Amino acid sequence: MSLTPASAGTAAAPADSWSVMRTRIALALVLLYALASGAAWLKLAASAAGRAAPDEISTYERRFQEVRAALPARGVVGYLGRTDSAGLTPAEREAASLRDFKHYLLAQYALAPVVLIESTEPDFVVGNFDSGKAPSAPPGFRLERDFGNGLVLFRRSP
Amino acid sequence: MTPWLGLSLLVSVTAGLLLIRWVWPGAAAAWWWPLGMALGAAFGVGLSSVLLYLWMLAFGPTRGFPIAECSLLILMTAIALVRVRRAPKVAASPRDHPGRPAGLLAWAAGLALALASAAFLGMLRRQPHGEWDAWMNWNLRARMIFRGGETWQTAFSDMIPWSHPDYPLMVQSLVVRSWLYAGGETLGGPAMVAAAFTLGTVVLLVAALAAMRSASQGLVAGLVLLSTPFFIVHGASFYGDVPIGLFLLTTFVCLALDGRHGEATRRFAVLAGAAAGFALWTKNEGVTFVPAIVAGILASGLVGGWPAARRRLTGFGLGLLPMLLVAASFKLRLAPRNDLVATLGIERTIDWLTDPRRYFLTLREFITHLGAFGFNGFGSATWLLLAYLLAMGIGRRELDRVWTRMAVVVLVLMLAVDYIVFVAMAYDLPRLLNSSLDRLLLQLWPSALFLLFMAVRTPEEVGFPFRRAKPS
Repeated sequence: MSLTPASAGTAAAPADSWSVMRTRIALALVLLYALASGAAWLKLAASAAGRAAPDEISTYERRFQEVRAALPARGVVGYLGRTDSAGLTPAEREAASLRDFKHYLLAQYALAPVVLIESTEPDFVVGNFDSGKAPSAPPGFRLERDFGNGLVLFRRSP
Repeated sequence: MTPWLGLSLLVSVTAGLLLIRWVWPGAAAAWWWPLGMALGAAFGVGLSSVLLYLWMLAFGPTRGFPIAECSLLILMTAIALVRVRRAPKVAASPRDHPGRPAGLLAWAAGLALALASAAFLGMLRRQPHGEWDAWMNWNLRARMIFRGGETWQTAFSDMIPWSHPDYPLMVQSLVVRSWLYAGGETLGGPAMVAAAFTLGTVVLLVAALAAMRSASQGLVAGLVLLSTPFFIVHGASFYGDVPIGLFLLTTFVCLALDGRHGEATRRFAVLAGAAAGFALWTKNEGVTFVPAIVAGILASGLVGGWPAARRRLTGFGLGLLPMLLVAASFKLRLAPRNDLVATLGIERTIDWLTDPRRYFLTLREFITHLGAFGFNGFGSATWLLLAYLLAMGIGRRELDRVWTRMAVVVLVLMLAVDYIVFVAMAYDLPRLLNSSLDRLLLQLWPSALFLLFMAVRTPEEVGFPFRRAKPS
């Protein structure tokens, strides 16, 4: 009937001093471990409390508010946003590739529920470039709208 | 929006609590509220997720769901009240419930909980969208479902394979559910889901050990879990590893209860099956957990006898079956093929499986990551627990229990399967080991702590002269 074994809870076996000493050491180790983490938690909480700036994702997402309103409510939309890697070192190329991929993921996160694919097959294509570097429309497309800050919307020409 | 988010959590937990109270075999095991609440919270969120999935299949992600769910809760409450009134009262003996914990441990655990909560909130403030996987996967899917309306199934498009559209729906559906209650998207939704899973894991670990071993034992385990840096940090990242960890722990707790009361009732084995089903519904790793449990139960037949193993297996299967059907319906109707499986080739897999360097590299990383797990500047949690185990010793009575051995078999099997999956399926092995191994260990961490503290002697068993906390 009982959940707790008979020896647990209030009952205590007779203790020898060596057992008590070992238990003291074991519990002290756990408390020291908890103390170290507690100090780190306190530091982390304090540093976050003093933080005023909005987080990176929210800031980045705000760029897409107008784009989202300009896109169809559903469906598949193309995406262009690869950095021109000519002249970059392999390390720089890898870093740029990772950054581009992150920007694509963030664009998809912001523009859901449309499905964003890295292609110019769909009729609408979102261009996400570094500010001031928006390239010309891909073949067969025209610039539908320039949102500024490197964000553009291309539409397939009739 | 916050009161509605709170209501969504309250509805889940209350429904789970009623369910657990309803199925609790009162004639076989004394009811204890903290454990019932903790189990109820786990089952409640699982149930809410499945209910929303079924609702979406029928009606889509509509605002009618909260009303339907609340109506169901009211009906459940009425039935439960009638049942509890009619049920024969089972008087609890004084030793049915754990004694009061030692004052110092209670204070330390309370302080650790407060500091970990503050850090958790700090991390939410820093990254309210969570870490990479959260916004590129879990929350993205939740947005696609919620914003998609009638076309919510586009969320599982195979055109965005990097977002893992085949992942089961536990976390995403709970986020969608929170937004349905709140009436719109809010960053508080995913945060509340993450906090519920993280805190729920701590509460269940402490309550289960307090109920089955001693209050001090529960608090010591809770202290270690709350002080494991990766557990709190990752909990606030909105990934699926802490949620699946809760359901693995729930399964082990139910199996432990079955180990104690299995001869009188099969209900805890059924609950273990349901909890394993929820794990299956949380992450694909649940697919390996279920066979590991089955293997563990079969292995338990060798030491505990086949009739007991057969009874346990039948109960487990009964509890698992509904969730197996739900998960199968998702995989067959909505989910595209898993990207890891889709890119597998037989020749390449055989090449990898016959490459001894991959075994060596994976083994080395397993040992390194296991040894360093939970490092917080003072030391790693692994070494801390090893020292604790050596100092306290193993309780022979607990070690001799069939379920303890079964649980060890399951945990070892889970690690072995993870090991083989890395060797056989990882394209960029070093990178994948580096990015995933700690997360896989984290999934097992609460269960490993539970198993260890079930087996290790309690301070009371050693005869440690605690000064008890004064009654308030």
